[in-house]
Amino acid sequence: MIDVQALKAKASDWPKGNGLDDMTVGQLFEHHWGRTLSQEDNTRFSTMTLHFNPLYFNTEYARAHDHESVVINPMLVFLTVFGLSVEALSESGGAFLGVEKLTFEGTVYPGDTLTARSKVISLRDSDSRPDGGIATWHTEGFNQRGERVIEFHRTNLIAKRLEGK
Amino acid sequence: MTTTPDTLTANDNYFEAFEPGQVFRHARGRTITEMDNVLITLQVMNTAQGHFNEHRMASSPFGQRINFGGITASFIIGLASQDTAEQALLEMGLDKIRFTNPVFHGDTLYAFSEVLAVDDAPREDAGVITFRHIGINQDDKVVFTGERRVMLKRRSHWGRA
Repeated sequence: MIDVQALKAKASDWPKGNGLDDMTVGQLFEHHWGRTLSQEDNTRFSTMTLHFNPLYFNTEYARAHDHESVVINPMLVFLTVFGLSVEALSESGGAFLGVEKLTFEGTVYPGDTLTARSKVISLRDSDSRPDGGIATWHTEGFNQRGERVIEFHRTNLIAKRLEGK
Repeated sequence: MTTTPDTLTANDNYFEAFEPGQVFRHARGRTITEMDNVLITLQVMNTAQGHFNEHRMASSPFGQRINFGGITASFIIGLASQDTAEQALLEMGLDKIRFTNPVFHGDTLYAFSEVLAVDDAPREDAGVITFRHIGINQDDKVVFTGERRVMLKRRSHWGRA
């Protein structure tokens, strides 16, 4: 029998992410993992969000518009690059406040692999949450050839200090 | 049967259909389910557990998991897409994205679009529209606002005669 209380008492935490106090303006985060986007990802995302542009789910239609295959839905490119950045930037929790100046810069196709990095643009205290702060980052996403395919500025409320860190 | 691109889409939503000041209410709503939020949040590897750990969120001020804002944005733009993106050659960008109220499992979202600007594109068979999209929930609370620039085909070059 496992004694769960003893297990909890013995285990050391392995916390994830960063709080506001772990960041400095100008700091660059190279984000983990990367993600190869498949046609299945794209079709499911596009149909589940009712994003009915045939470029994203009809190969013949995409070919008639000078693409060799379907195009990855730009909103999936945005969410994937955003997702890759979450652990480093905003996993500590708090409201996602907004995005400014998002530019889609290159077409992404099934089989392309995205990676992401972010730079800290500004850090300030929150009036409403003394244990939190408001951070703005410039996030960029790249394909496997190092070509930038997206950039945006994101602002989020995050914890000042991470539990257990 | 052979199909050409122009028969697969509508004929009333090319670039020429839009002029500044128009406001559209899009036809369909979408109830956000637990499946949507958990599936898409983790499909894109968003590791923030406020979107997928119900036990933890039960003791938060929200009392439950909240929908990932990126999904809220994708649903509002998706609900608007048959009317405002079916003829899109290129999604160019987004700006001024704001989430003014949280979205929870079971909430139903509706989308509205306003035409802010109509401009020429670098290519003569297309033009660029700037839309403002607004998302509301079942209680008429605004959950999303944002601007979107998109390059749409011109009916004069791509539409049915």
